[in-house]
Amino acid sequence: MTSASERSYTRRDTVMFLVCLGLACFGLVSPDAWGLSIAAALRDTVLAPVVWLQARGEEAKTSRERLRTITAQRDSAAYLAQAIPSLVAENERLRQLLALSRRLSTRYIAAEVLHQAQATDGRTLLLSVGARDGVGTFDPVVAPEGLIGVVLSASDRTSVVMTWAHPEFRVSAYTVTGNAAGVVAPSADLTGADGALEFRGVPYRDSVPTGTMVLSSGLGGVYPKGIPVGTVTGLAGERAGWERVYRLQPAANPGSVAHVLVLVTPGGDLARAFAPDSAPAGSDSTASAGDSGR
Amino acid sequence: MIHARASRLQLAGVLLLLVVLHFYVRPRLGDPRVSPDFLFVGLMLFAMRSSPGVAAVAGFVVGLTADALTPAQFGAATLAHTVVAYLASWGRAVFFADNLLVNAAFVAVGLWIRDLLVLALSGSGRPLLVELALYSPLQALTSALFALLVLLAFREWFAIRLDA
Repeated sequence: MTSASERSYTRRDTVMFLVCLGLACFGLVSPDAWGLSIAAALRDTVLAPVVWLQARGEEAKTSRERLRTITAQRDSAAYLAQAIPSLVAENERLRQLLALSRRLSTRYIAAEVLHQAQATDGRTLLLSVGARDGVGTFDPVVAPEGLIGVVLSASDRTSVVMTWAHPEFRVSAYTVTGNAAGVVAPSADLTGADGALEFRGVPYRDSVPTGTMVLSSGLGGVYPKGIPVGTVTGLAGERAGWERVYRLQPAANPGSVAHVLVLVTPGGDLARAFAPDSAPAGSDSTASAGDSGR
Repeated sequence: MIHARASRLQLAGVLLLLVVLHFYVRPRLGDPRVSPDFLFVGLMLFAMRSSPGVAAVAGFVVGLTADALTPAQFGAATLAHTVVAYLASWGRAVFFADNLLVNAAFVAVGLWIRDLLVLALSGSGRPLLVELALYSPLQALTSALFALLVLLAFREWFAIRLDA
């Protein structure tokens, strides 16, 4: 027979458990914006020391283990960069011949990826840079191999990236050959055996051979044009005889990436990028379709 | 009384060490999907020596930390950690919790259940079978082995009942 104190003890445990469970359920059903705000507030206050500690850990790993790799990459980049001045000059001349304005430059911020132990790490990534460094919501994030995702929320010192593995991720894309365009989204196949991305909405008349690279198209205004998204590995299906869906092997892996670049959205006036007789912004309804986030 | 207080301080010291290992050493251990989850190991070792209510609160705090750092679906990790810690504390009464292998098995099974709950509550879209059949068991194994090492190294310090 249990004593009164033991019963009270058990009742207190049950109450504590139910309160914690209730708060967790409230967090689960609350709007996403609330969750992101609470997470950002926690990262900037009570969790700031551990985020700082992890960022130092990532830096130490980079400086010790990856120095040789980074040196090799830098050497390759330096070699390739030797041809850039002549290409820039040639591009400039061609743009002048075609009466095009100067190409807009994209500023970027290098960031460390602070991987977590959660099974959902890879859908969202925590970066070591935040609003204080100039990162804002909807800034695209890329790795040397290709597209990683887009900034979902930026707190003062850290930011959260929605990667291509997130169920809500979408990017407007086209093939490198230019013969097909569509939207890239995470695969609905839960086994993960057939590639993690799908190239959807490709017109039935357009066939894309295996091995074709798919790039971001720039439509939607979130991702710049030309970022590698993935490579076609085969046909995933056809819908009603008017659309083809292709499987994609992603260009970059969010689960193992250590460094990324955040492409900072230019805040200046974009009017100078267009010729005076260009069509007014918003006249093409397709320009706002495609990318996730906006 | 003094001895019990010293034991609690020693236990707190080990848990603090696990926190430091999680955030400073873990990034250097290779693939983050299979590296030991030091924070979860600390939670399970604490929960198995505490009352269910205190274990649930500890799980809530660890889960909230995980949610703040990986907000795929805010609340999912909090819920999963709370449930797993609470069950671990109750499970101590059912199993031989003083056995080192039982402790390690608790960590492994708890981590897999945690991942199952987090993935289920976060919605689909990611290859669930790959996570649950490959990465999660591997991480559970590495975490259990590390828990075993911690218990072997600090066996006397962990021979404590925090709810006593």
